[in-house]
Amino acid sequence: MTATATVHQSEECLLRPGNTNCGGCGMSVGLTMLGRALAEAGDTCTLVIPACCGIVTAGAFPTTSYAVPTIATTFASSAAVASGVASIRDLNDEPGQVICWAGDGGTYDIGLATLSAAAERNENIIYICYDNEIYGNTGGQRSSATPVGARTSTTPSGKTENKKDIMSIMAAHRIPYAATLSVAHPEDFAHKISTALATHGMRFLLLHSPCPTGWKSEPGDSVDLVRLAVASGLFPLYEVHDGARYRINVESDGADPAEYFHRQRRFAPEEIDLRMTRRACADRVQRLRALAERHPIDG
Amino acid sequence: MAGGSAMIEIRIHGRGGQGGVTLAKLIATSRFLQGESVQAFGLYAAERSGAPVQAFCRYSEEPITNRNLIYEPDHIIVLDPTLVGPNIVAGLRAGGWILINSPHPPEAFADQFPGNRIATVDATSIARNNDLGTRSLPIVNTALAGAVGKMLVFPLQEMCAALEHLGFKDSNLTAATLAHDEVRLLDTPRETGLSGDEVALPTEERGPSILEGAGASLPAIKTGSWASEQPRRRQMIPPCNHICPAGNNVQGFLDALSRKKTDEALEILLRSSPFPSICGRACPAPCMEACNRIEIDGAVNVRQLERYAGDHGQVTLEPLANRNERIAIVGSGPAGLTAAYHLARFGYRVRVFESGPEIGGLLRSGIPDFRIPEDVASREIDRILDLGVDVETDHSIDRQGLLELARNQDAVLVATGQQEQRDLQLGMNGSEAVVQGIDFLEHVHRGDVRVDGERVIVIGGGNTAMDAARSALRLGAKSVKVVYRRSREEMPAIREEIDETVEEGVCIELLTQPIALHEKRSDGVRRHLRLVCRRMELGEPDESGRRSPVEIPDSDFELPCHRVILALGQSPDLSVFPEGTEVREGSQLLGLLETPVFAIGDLATREGTVAGAIGSGRRSAVHIHGVLSGEHVHITEHADAQRDVDEWCDEVIHADAMKLHLFERQAASEGESLPMTERRSTFDEVHMGLSNADEAARCLSCGVCNECDACVTYCPEGVLKRVGHSLEFDYSYCKGCGVCVAECPRNVIFMSHL
Amino acid sequence: MPLDVITGNQAAGCALSLAGEANRTARGAACGIYPITPQTEIVEYVARFPFTKGRVVPVESEHSAMAVSMGASMSGARAFTASSSNGIAYMAENIMVAGYYRLPIVMVAVNRTLGPPWNIWADQGDTLMLRDFPWLQFYCETNQEILDTTLLAFRLAEDKRILLPALTCMDAFIVSHTQTETAQPEQSEVDRFLPDLDLPHRMHYNEARTLGGLAWPHEELSMRLEIDDAMKRVPSVYQECRKSFTEIFGRDPGDMLQTYEVDNADLILIASGTIATTAREVVRRRRASGEKVGLVKIKMFRPFPEAALREACQSASRVAVLDRNYAAGTGGIFWQDTRAAFHSYRDDVLIQNYLTGLCGGDVTPDVVDDILTNLASRAEASDPVWIGVETGRRTLQ
Repeated sequence: MTATATVHQSEECLLRPGNTNCGGCGMSVGLTMLGRALAEAGDTCTLVIPACCGIVTAGAFPTTSYAVPTIATTFASSAAVASGVASIRDLNDEPGQVICWAGDGGTYDIGLATLSAAAERNENIIYICYDNEIYGNTGGQRSSATPVGARTSTTPSGKTENKKDIMSIMAAHRIPYAATLSVAHPEDFAHKISTALATHGMRFLLLHSPCPTGWKSEPGDSVDLVRLAVASGLFPLYEVHDGARYRINVESDGADPAEYFHRQRRFAPEEIDLRMTRRACADRVQRLRALAERHPIDG
Repeated sequence: MAGGSAMIEIRIHGRGGQGGVTLAKLIATSRFLQGESVQAFGLYAAERSGAPVQAFCRYSEEPITNRNLIYEPDHIIVLDPTLVGPNIVAGLRAGGWILINSPHPPEAFADQFPGNRIATVDATSIARNNDLGTRSLPIVNTALAGAVGKMLVFPLQEMCAALEHLGFKDSNLTAATLAHDEVRLLDTPRETGLSGDEVALPTEERGPSILEGAGASLPAIKTGSWASEQPRRRQMIPPCNHICPAGNNVQGFLDALSRKKTDEALEILLRSSPFPSICGRACPAPCMEACNRIEIDGAVNVRQLERYAGDHGQVTLEPLANRNERIAIVGSGPAGLTAAYHLARFGYRVRVFESGPEIGGLLRSGIPDFRIPEDVASREIDRILDLGVDVETDHSIDRQGLLELARNQDAVLVATGQQEQRDLQLGMNGSEAVVQGIDFLEHVHRGDVRVDGERVIVIGGGNTAMDAARSALRLGAKSVKVVYRRSREEMPAIREEIDETVEEGVCIELLTQPIALHEKRSDGVRRHLRLVCRRMELGEPDESGRRSPVEIPDSDFELPCHRVILALGQSPDLSVFPEGTEVREGSQLLGLLETPVFAIGDLATREGTVAGAIGSGRRSAVHIHGVLSGEHVHITEHADAQRDVDEWCDEVIHADAMKLHLFERQAASEGESLPMTERRSTFDEVHMGLSNADEAARCLSCGVCNECDACVTYCPEGVLKRVGHSLEFDYSYCKGCGVCVAECPRNVIFMSHL
Repeated sequence: MPLDVITGNQAAGCALSLAGEANRTARGAACGIYPITPQTEIVEYVARFPFTKGRVVPVESEHSAMAVSMGASMSGARAFTASSSNGIAYMAENIMVAGYYRLPIVMVAVNRTLGPPWNIWADQGDTLMLRDFPWLQFYCETNQEILDTTLLAFRLAEDKRILLPALTCMDAFIVSHTQTETAQPEQSEVDRFLPDLDLPHRMHYNEARTLGGLAWPHEELSMRLEIDDAMKRVPSVYQECRKSFTEIFGRDPGDMLQTYEVDNADLILIASGTIATTAREVVRRRRASGEKVGLVKIKMFRPFPEAALREACQSASRVAVLDRNYAAGTGGIFWQDTRAAFHSYRDDVLIQNYLTGLCGGDVTPDVVDDILTNLASRAEASDPVWIGVETGRRTLQ
């Protein structure tokens, strides 16, 4: 059987209808927004996706929900496979981006060494981690991106450790561009994709990706939840150039994180130390503000 | 029974996340606890939350050796009513049960599934009521477990034992018990010779090869079948539109302004009112008090935006038809002129009779130039006259004249307003020291009055009082004081005008009731008067809804003055009608004649605002048109029906139904005012208006789609598309997640259960 | 064709580099490289090579080395790498994936003992661990053979009738670090031998195709069957490639199964790698004294040349399989496959397994000689015989 359709991405959404993602999946919103930003820039991409919900999204062979060339890789390998793909693209002077689309498990955990090495080599790829703070594809186990207090099937009484600060790790690699993304801030999202598209070398984007199934939240609440995370300082929106120059893109308005926790049943109210959380949010925002003031992007 | 043995096989159809496998395990566990051999398993694939999935359960008193899927189940359970279709009974043995999660009775499915026994239970409601799962994906398995027990005749406590064995407590046990009690059974199958369809065997053909480029076919799954709810669009009534006495489509013209379409904004306003520039200056703007944006950062400055549209828009109007009927309108105030405007637009031959020398009534003489400049009033009145309206000035109509008109016209509208000015007997009425506010303003308009060096006291709290006080200041008064018997809250004047009055240096004595006026002495130039006043306090509300003033004993005091202006409000002069005529809007007067005669405006409604008069004029014009032509013109409080929506909702949308947190804060634009130093010496307009219409972008467009496209932006599936002015949902793929509903800031998109 | 004294590793590095360079007129070449003793010299060679259109990516692990090579291969480039021992074990997941993706990657493996304890000497356990993966496997006994076979492996792997990755293996140190005279081909010869790679299912930046993803049992079954079909075509395609190689390079890269003195041999030794060299010498001596002995060297282990093996052993009544590897709980891996090859065809052959040279032990002519003596004296087969356990040299009586 030959390909029934060779569709160029400019003609349709990056993520096709008929995919099997859960309703209200933040990754779906992210892919849709990514597709729009690429179309806006007149750019194309090849997706390189490790084991995660993102590759299940493609659906069953011989069909695919991705309207762009897509490669499935082993769990730890997306950044390395992408290095190979990008190398041959560059050797052949071909257009288009090579974009790793990986979950937090494949980024923070099993794929971290691979990602770090690709960053250190300054591979000419874009790495987007859609961070839903859980091993969603396997049914909801803790990852090192799971926030403290969240109940998962492997932390039944709430995770006792803090979420890993992957952005600082990536910034420490002094890569040309690193930024956080939220589907609740589409303009900022578009700005960062377009900055990434215009940058050469390793680009790392961290997308806070709501997972109604894993977060035990209303599917319709997905966007509003991550909006709250930005507003409260749980997930600040910022960008880092060359690992050294910072800009906060959306200021936290000091919203109380309590509502964020209350609207997700993965958090048990009694396991969330709100006082500590508020302080952590304030510290996080303060630290970023200090960095952005001392080392501004425009400075 | 499978293979003639005692083994029972059950196939469960559900959606990912509904708990089908757990239901299989619950049934199996209940049998296991009774000593039977059991199996429970799912058919695992890539499907996610919401996708159709299957689970299986087997139990038998003998050891089970079968490790295959179930192809010929004894019974079938359907967790989601939207899954009910011919496919679910594939292989089902004749006489087997089909348990369906549905609010309908089993008889409703009898024709669809002849030859099988059917049971139904509304497990979704039970789950929702017991807070099991999420709103869009209620977890119905524990409820259905209770129903299965009843259906297969297990004692309830056996299923409860299984629930407890698996760690289910509280609401899950309640759900199971409720479903056990509520399940409805149809034990007599409808006659048929057929059972379910044969299960197709896997094809012997080879699959596609990756070496030949396979892996590019379009997805074949219609994920719309996953949805238990679907988004729809509706339109609600914005509070500004609802409350506007003139019937303006406030949201509509603001939307046009926000798109920089000033002409379109004016065109929208002119559909209801001929006086946007005047209302944009003199309207108390109840729309701004009703504005939902108050909950964020203050009302949208609708008044100034209406003025902007009126002053800057360009629209050429023509009569929409040409008719022969002649209509007389008595009075050329805002009500009469609005009626004339609409009737002229309908094509009638309209003649307006004005008792004074100028057309426009109080629009011209009753509101000073610093609020409505002469040229503004003229421009808007001329627009009406340009439609071919005839005018007769200095032509007052008495009772006889009205009868005359009724005889030779096809319809008559009486819009004489409230000409009787309320009086207050202070003891010196009739002297030139005491003057009525309306009369004073008319003198001001004619330019034949000065109050140089005088202390002026204005009695009253309405706009006439403010206008008189401010005019007196400009005409050289030494001081101006307003005396009002209630508190500032109760003052009927426009809040902004009160503010400006105070800014300009007028002192307002609140809770003060004038009792008497005495002349102290006269120095030949002017008479020195003393106004005796009494302090008041607020008591119970009166029939106007405002708290009524109550005298404080022994609190009298005196205010020195040279002139007292009475601005206590007006009442209609009904002398033109036969004695005892009940004058109300919409009720035909002079019933003995065939000619329709109606009273309109303040005369009929006593509202006392320009906007109210405009509304009355418009309604009456439409009414008359209906009477004369038989055509029915619907006046809607909705924004004009530009939007393609699924549902029109006749409810006003209040702030609690808006997602106010989705809007960014932005302070209102007030526009510039004349410097205070100039105000006391000139009748130039105080407020200079907005320099642009950016303020319109602050409109939240409550309950009306303004194509912000947040829904399109956030739709995870990309199945929501903007096509022109309409939104298209692709329901064959929409999973019903509800993100578009949650992200619609104005509550246009809502979820409807399937 | 310059003849020079180089190591087996250099021979392999030379073959990989020339093959990669030969694809410069097409989509180029790339590889991920990662060092491990005793193969490091190979990737060093590759890293130094001045590719016209190629990129050598020094990665952080063997797992990523194969991942980079896969990415390059999927993009239509010629891709390769090299590894050994625990490195192969670490890489294993991606090795398997390259096979199921039908990517014609060539990997040179230096067979080294798997740890712990840590031991750098020869043992085939590392690559034989991959025996059930969809890869072709070749075991070579000389520097020249590893060079030639590696070049040949590209041609075979990239043939549209095959499209499977290939492993070429050599014994640690005995080949990898031994300097002997080796003919290194000219680039122009390699260019003639290896046509531009045209991978039919490569990714195109403008074609929306998903490589990977999910499959239902029926679809995946079909893909497995395609692999089986391709494996069955290997012997005949191999002969075509071998003929072409001989024509271009003037040298026979050797058959996939090589016999020595098997005509009317009663006793036959079956061996691979450098043990075959030693065994051949012992057979030569014994034949000289009139004994009916012979040798079968298995060069191609996957697909396993069953029919050729049976034919080669036609006259034998006893067969000794010498395995430098051990599958825990069973015995030698070549032995297992040999037994399976005879099963249902002949039940009159005594097949005895000798585990020799494991964990880097030296296999001397005396050892092989003793094995032949032992085989000749047997009335029946026994459990695999472990050699070298007691003295470190020989235990057979």
